[in-house]
Amino acid sequence: MKTLVKVTLVLVLIVMAFAAVTLSVSAQDDPRRPVSDDEVNAVSKKLYCPVCENITLDTCGTLACAQWRDEVRILLSEGNTPEQVIENFVVRFGDRVVGTPVDPLLRAIALITPWVFSAAVLVGVAVVFFRWRSEGTHTAPMAAKRSTEKTPNATHSLEDYRARLESDLAARR
Amino acid sequence: MTHLHATEQDVLTEAAVVAEPTPAKHGANFIVFLVGGILVVLAVIFGLGLRHQQQTQPTEGFAPLFTLQTLSGEAISLESLRGQVVVINFWASWCGPCRSEAAELEAAWQRYKDQGVVFLGIAYTDTERNAQAYLQEFGITYPNGLDYQTKISAQYRITGVPETFIIDREGHINEFVMVPLNQGQISAMIERALTKGQNQP
Repeated sequence: MKTLVKVTLVLVLIVMAFAAVTLSVSAQDDPRRPVSDDEVNAVSKKLYCPVCENITLDTCGTLACAQWRDEVRILLSEGNTPEQVIENFVVRFGDRVVGTPVDPLLRAIALITPWVFSAAVLVGVAVVFFRWRSEGTHTAPMAAKRSTEKTPNATHSLEDYRARLESDLAARR
Repeated sequence: MTHLHATEQDVLTEAAVVAEPTPAKHGANFIVFLVGGILVVLAVIFGLGLRHQQQTQPTEGFAPLFTLQTLSGEAISLESLRGQVVVINFWASWCGPCRSEAAELEAAWQRYKDQGVVFLGIAYTDTERNAQAYLQEFGITYPNGLDYQTKISAQYRITGVPETFIIDREGHINEFVMVPLNQGQISAMIERALTKGQNQP
């Protein structure tokens, strides 16, 4: 009886040893590594749904997004970095998957233009405001000066007018 | 006369002052130009966006040309298919309605493949893995490929899947439908494209 138990134990140990070796070999053959949901979501946050408008993969419930998230997981498990995964998607599906142009020049224009535009408006408003403020202090004296400068000319023309009027009246008499 | 002198002088002096643009007026002009410029830029951006949004699928004229890289590694250009009726079907493995017409398309292909009709399946925003699984699931044998960078779907301005275009022998778009089709509908569309031009002298 004892011999039978010993033989059984030895057989079980041998089977377990074989199983362990087989499993370790297959694990070495499969280069994939387990990828957590957090890792998938971190990449999915940067990619947009192919069907919906302005919804990222991590929050989208469509089958299309589920398939793309699976694709992200597979690519990560194959050893790609998050950047490589995103680049892979852009190559296959175009710029729209990341929501901004990938071309550095176009991206710069897309990102900078709104700021430049806003800055220009602010500068314009500031210039007008300060000009108004500085002009407000000078307007009264300048107007007075202008009015005194204009008076001799005005008087001169008025005298001409009066002279013509007098000569007309004299002619009628 | 003294009264007249004083009044006219005042009027002339004021007129002279008013005629010259004041600095404050310069500032007001600047704001008007600034606001006007902003409004024009916004109107242009809005107009372009609206125009882009209102563009729909082409329903007539020459079909936009493309070259499809099939999943079996073959490159098929639409131009090379001139003289044959071409059925272009946009689909996706994640699209439910596409599944309902997949077998119908394959059946139509089997019926017309020897009658001068070519079917091209274009997978929209699909992965190769899922597309291959879909084709295998439905036993689809006509050429299919991925729409890399969604360039072909942009050319045809599709708004979803499934969408099907029938191209006649001269390369014109004969018909366009954006609903899942059954074999009878596909056959009728193909027949119309095949008979087109035959009745004309």
